[in-house]
Amino acid sequence: MTAQFRAVLYTQWKWSRIIVVLGTVGAFAIPLLSLQGAARADRGALQAQDLLRSVQSWGTLYPLLAATLGLLVAIAAWAADHRGRHIHALTLPLPRWRYVLLRFGAGFALLAAPIAAVLIGALLATVTATLPPGLQAYPLALALRFALAVFVAYAVFFAVSAGTARTAGIILAVIAALILVQVVASMANLDLNLLETLQAALVFGPGPLVVFTGRWMLVDV
Amino acid sequence: MNQAILIEGLHYRVGKTFAISELDLHVPVGSIYGFLGPNGSGKTTTIRLILGLLRPLGGRITVLGDPMPEHYARVLGRVGYVPEQPHLDGTLTVGELIAFQSAFYPRWDRARAAELLTKFELDAEQLFGRLSKGQKAKVMILLALAQCGELLVLDEPTDGLDPVVRRDILGALLTYVSERGATIFISSHLVHELERVCDWVAVMDNGRLITESPMEKLKHGTKRLVVSGAPRDVTNPPFRMLAREAGNGAGESWVVGDWEPDMASYIEGLGASVRDVIDLDLEDGFVELLRSFRRVPQ
Repeated sequence: MTAQFRAVLYTQWKWSRIIVVLGTVGAFAIPLLSLQGAARADRGALQAQDLLRSVQSWGTLYPLLAATLGLLVAIAAWAADHRGRHIHALTLPLPRWRYVLLRFGAGFALLAAPIAAVLIGALLATVTATLPPGLQAYPLALALRFALAVFVAYAVFFAVSAGTARTAGIILAVIAALILVQVVASMANLDLNLLETLQAALVFGPGPLVVFTGRWMLVDV
Repeated sequence: MNQAILIEGLHYRVGKTFAISELDLHVPVGSIYGFLGPNGSGKTTTIRLILGLLRPLGGRITVLGDPMPEHYARVLGRVGYVPEQPHLDGTLTVGELIAFQSAFYPRWDRARAAELLTKFELDAEQLFGRLSKGQKAKVMILLALAQCGELLVLDEPTDGLDPVVRRDILGALLTYVSERGATIFISSHLVHELERVCDWVAVMDNGRLITESPMEKLKHGTKRLVVSGAPRDVTNPPFRMLAREAGNGAGESWVVGDWEPDMASYIEGLGASVRDVIDLDLEDGFVELLRSFRRVPQ
């Protein structure tokens, strides 16, 4: 099992190494850049409010990076199998659920690098900065939240990209049907807001995508 | 276990126009079994059913004693497979593909892999996607043989390859069989190629089995007879009448299957006489079998 995981991990590393390396560099840089306005030896500190504003604006990049990494690594995990019409995978002598689990685990193992980079970058940024009185740094909480967001994004896109073109077509057809129903409902002046309801169900608590919303603050009160 | 592959009453449908129906195959252990049929006859679909890639709508498939597709994971560990089209990832090198494959097969033969790499003159550092068609076929054969399976399932493995590569591949297969006593199930539409290596043969057309027999019986039992004075109706002959054509004055030309020399007496009993018995090679026999099968309404 270990040898199989290593083999799968190696292939996935080969297919997604550029994404992982760039993502890791970005994940390391964002916390450092977000605290660039905090006090350094050579210049004065920003006021607390200005610093929070800066941290908040940089914070929008975390969920974006998490979603992008999840999407690209998930696509890379299945791209080769799709090209080969899954014949190679289906003729390997192991249960298919285990093969899927190996691919899933290997992708998530690769995503540990950008998650660790956020943690290290956040720790480094908070150690080297002097925070205005009343503010505190939350590097570990930020890294955990980033890890959760990466995991959710990767899991969702992994499931979608594992499917066939038919599955993708069904998903698109459902979305198109929702939009069509919404348009018809609006034209008929019906009090129906499907898209808003769907959005609320997905991104507001306890929706599965709630982790992507809200403020991503490395430093807060 | 006498049969490496046993198929009984197999039924499968592809879309609305093509179906495999009532297919029975018996592949003896240790045989080299040729699976012949024209393009689109259902050979690849049958192979995918054998390997558990597709689920049959009816019938029973047993591979190496285990029912398929229920026990696919166990069976596939004992089966080497070479598909019709290269199915391996083109961005991996030959060496990486070997390393990947070896992780999944407990009986992987490292020494055989290394030996075949040298024998086939393959470069382990080269990307699979950059290899020629012949080199890709060699890599796939290498992987199938190094798995040390008891059964090799090969779907048109030499189709479109030059004679040198074909000979290399067939040579490696025969060496493997003689060393390990493995069974080979090989599909092809290249009749001459199978004629040289197979000891059993099955012919399929339009999703149905036309015949299944030992190669020698099919080769030596299919004859062209020149018959003079033949009556219009020939009922219940002891041989299979595959074709009957009017001759050019010298008598009728019959193509028959399952022919034995003493069957001439049956024809003489009809008031006719056999003026000549001509051997047909497998390709001629194959063509006549197909023709006769297609004349009968299905």
